[in-house]
Amino acid sequence: MIETWQQQIKAAAAKGEKLAIKGSGSKSFLAPVRVGLTLDTRSHAGIVEYDPKELVIVVKCGTRVADVEKAMADAGQMLAFEPPHFGDDSTIGGTVAAGISGPRRAYAGAVRDFVLGAKVIDGKGDHLSFGGKVMKNVAGFDVSRLLVGSFGSLGVITEVAFKCLPLPKAQATRVFEMDAATAIEAMNRWYAEADPITATTWVDGKLHVRFAGAEPAVNTAVQKRGGEALVNDVDWWRDWREQRHAFFASAKELHRVSCKSTAPATDDMRTAIEWGGALRWVHADEASAAKIRYQASRAGGYASVWRGGASTHASAAQSLSDPLKDIHAKIKASFDPYNVFPSLSSSAGEGARQGG
Amino acid sequence: MLVFERPSETAVASAVDALRKDFGERAVTSHSVREHHSHGEGMRDAGLPDVVVFPETNEEVASIVKLCNQARIPVIAFGTGTSLEGHLKALYGGVCIDLSRMNNILQVNAEDLDCRVQAGVTREQLNAEIRSTGLFFPIDPGANASLGGMSATRASGTNAVRYGTMKENILGLTVVTPDGRIIKTGTRARKSSAGYDLTRLYVGSEGTLGIITEIQLKLYGVPERISAAVCQFDELSNAVNVVITAMQLGIPMARIELLDEVQMDACIKYSKLEGFAAKPTLFMEFHGTDAYVAEQIEQMKSITADYGGSDYRFADKPEDRTKLWKARHDAYWAGMSYKPGNQAFATDSCVPISRLADCIAAAKAEIAKTSLTCMIVGHVGDGNFHVQISFNPDNAQEREQAETAAAQIARIAIGMGGTCTGEHGIGIHKLDALKEEHGEAVDVMRTIKKALDPNNIMNPGKTIPMN
Repeated sequence: MIETWQQQIKAAAAKGEKLAIKGSGSKSFLAPVRVGLTLDTRSHAGIVEYDPKELVIVVKCGTRVADVEKAMADAGQMLAFEPPHFGDDSTIGGTVAAGISGPRRAYAGAVRDFVLGAKVIDGKGDHLSFGGKVMKNVAGFDVSRLLVGSFGSLGVITEVAFKCLPLPKAQATRVFEMDAATAIEAMNRWYAEADPITATTWVDGKLHVRFAGAEPAVNTAVQKRGGEALVNDVDWWRDWREQRHAFFASAKELHRVSCKSTAPATDDMRTAIEWGGALRWVHADEASAAKIRYQASRAGGYASVWRGGASTHASAAQSLSDPLKDIHAKIKASFDPYNVFPSLSSSAGEGARQGG
Repeated sequence: MLVFERPSETAVASAVDALRKDFGERAVTSHSVREHHSHGEGMRDAGLPDVVVFPETNEEVASIVKLCNQARIPVIAFGTGTSLEGHLKALYGGVCIDLSRMNNILQVNAEDLDCRVQAGVTREQLNAEIRSTGLFFPIDPGANASLGGMSATRASGTNAVRYGTMKENILGLTVVTPDGRIIKTGTRARKSSAGYDLTRLYVGSEGTLGIITEIQLKLYGVPERISAAVCQFDELSNAVNVVITAMQLGIPMARIELLDEVQMDACIKYSKLEGFAAKPTLFMEFHGTDAYVAEQIEQMKSITADYGGSDYRFADKPEDRTKLWKARHDAYWAGMSYKPGNQAFATDSCVPISRLADCIAAAKAEIAKTSLTCMIVGHVGDGNFHVQISFNPDNAQEREQAETAAAQIARIAIGMGGTCTGEHGIGIHKLDALKEEHGEAVDVMRTIKKALDPNNIMNPGKTIPMN
């Protein structure tokens, strides 16, 4: 498969044509506009190497995330960034290219923190290997992490080595009725006080806190913080991660705000808060979009349209300063000198370019 | 082929004049200062810069870089001079930018668990200044390095298993680009940034893509309880198996460090440790609540018992812990002074953890072929270990043996699916190993280097082989 793709890319480069890299399409709503022939990554699937003792799994790009998670769960391990699938057939390649992490992100780390190495076919058709499969590697530039969130603009990610973590032995979710401001304060303080928190979400006037880890640690935290037990919490967190919660379904236009975790709550728009306060989801409309962006930048972060927004909003890539734009163009050209792959800024979905 | 052509004497002289005019006494050309800035802590093959400048602001750094870019003069950033792979050697002379006067902590956001520092702040300075907030910064390479230098070399230390390395703990940077522009990567938002992850590109670029002048760092709450323990073994492989088992079970060790019998002997002598035998040893530290730490210790005790470990010796009092970890951090200096008159340098392999015992054995076998002494110290939870090779610097044959063995050890690690460098970096000493490890991928790294630094003024001759 790799050789076929290499030929395809070389041919496209020679003819000045474009290629669109695509997996199952579950995150297409976030991706740049893709034109040209489709290069479907799903034909390159399977686990290349997995010895649970190593805490490393090496996977081909077209492998379903669900299959990887199943294999790891059978060995008592997980992808600790808790990737949202947004579709049953969501692939590993797409997960890394989109660079999107789930509820555990604020506590365990992002996709990029678990990518130990990656193979990629660049725009010249060369199949290259960056990083490796060891926990620490400082040999040369950290290119494998540059690929995370690159949305197929630098090349075809063909294989990824992830760091695995053991599944927690115990887990419990507690629910607390409180307003947004109180919830933000609690999320930040409890985490700083070293509670074994692995997810936090405030929605509809309720703070949901997932404690996980060793049993005594979880029990101690639950006793200390109180709240009400959430039954079927595994399902609840999966639905939240997959954005199947009613909060998401009811949004006509949804904005994603990444900000410092203690940024004050905005009470005039319907909002959900996760990642200990560092990620806010806001129901918006044409009128409120500018205000959301303004508030986000005051809170040390930025806002972008996730779903349903008009494409006239300034995209994140377009809002880069000139020197940064220049650096982006040079990186793009280093990988893809003939522009076979789409540029990061040719975006339809405004949620694109939101690594993390 | 020369990677870089040394600038003409006139070009250098006129740049030095311009810098003297702008920086006065903060542009220094005395031999002693240039010598001090010509090397790190590794092999002292000094290469002197032509001038050392001590800027105080981002704008001053930018003005120096702009001048050097116009004159095609090399620029080398200097923090505290503790790098190990020849990163600071001025191969082609040039301007050394010493960032030690940029030592302000710009913000501490205790509630957000982050801070912003200038590049010259050292890790110990940061921890001393934030102590009253109940927070700490965990990354601890052996030296009291500057945070700018630690960022530029993607440093790590004894806490990496639990807290990660520099790359996981940097939220954003201010960087002066090779054409003298000041850019910011990342935001206060912990999670993400627009566009490519430039932060990760600059972290670990060893001063070859730009000069890091400010760093936004994550901080952590000081745990309620910290307990350090030491356990000794008759066999090194048993100690390694303990580590593998602990990682497998997900015991959240804050630190787990291995010293072999020779290294332990050196540390006992150098740091005057009492009551320990010169045997393979694990230094451990547990962080958490009282109950959690107690449970972690019970789990570890049962694992070490299975592998014939000794009783634990605990250090719970801060001063005892400090003494213990000081001894661990001084392992390099203990190795240096193990044989009078000798020097030592450290390899830096990192391998899949299941190959760790094999790799250490193969490395030792490599040294056994020579007349040299070696000792081993490792961040074993990550599969990363250092072979310190002790040799007589005045004996050319010994030095050559040491260098050959080190190259061979890097090759062994790469052959086992590992890397030639887990934390020290490439510098000038591992350029060949990088090619061996990454093959054609080095071409892309070189293309990026050429694109972002077309005149190759940023620390030329380091990190990425240019031919």
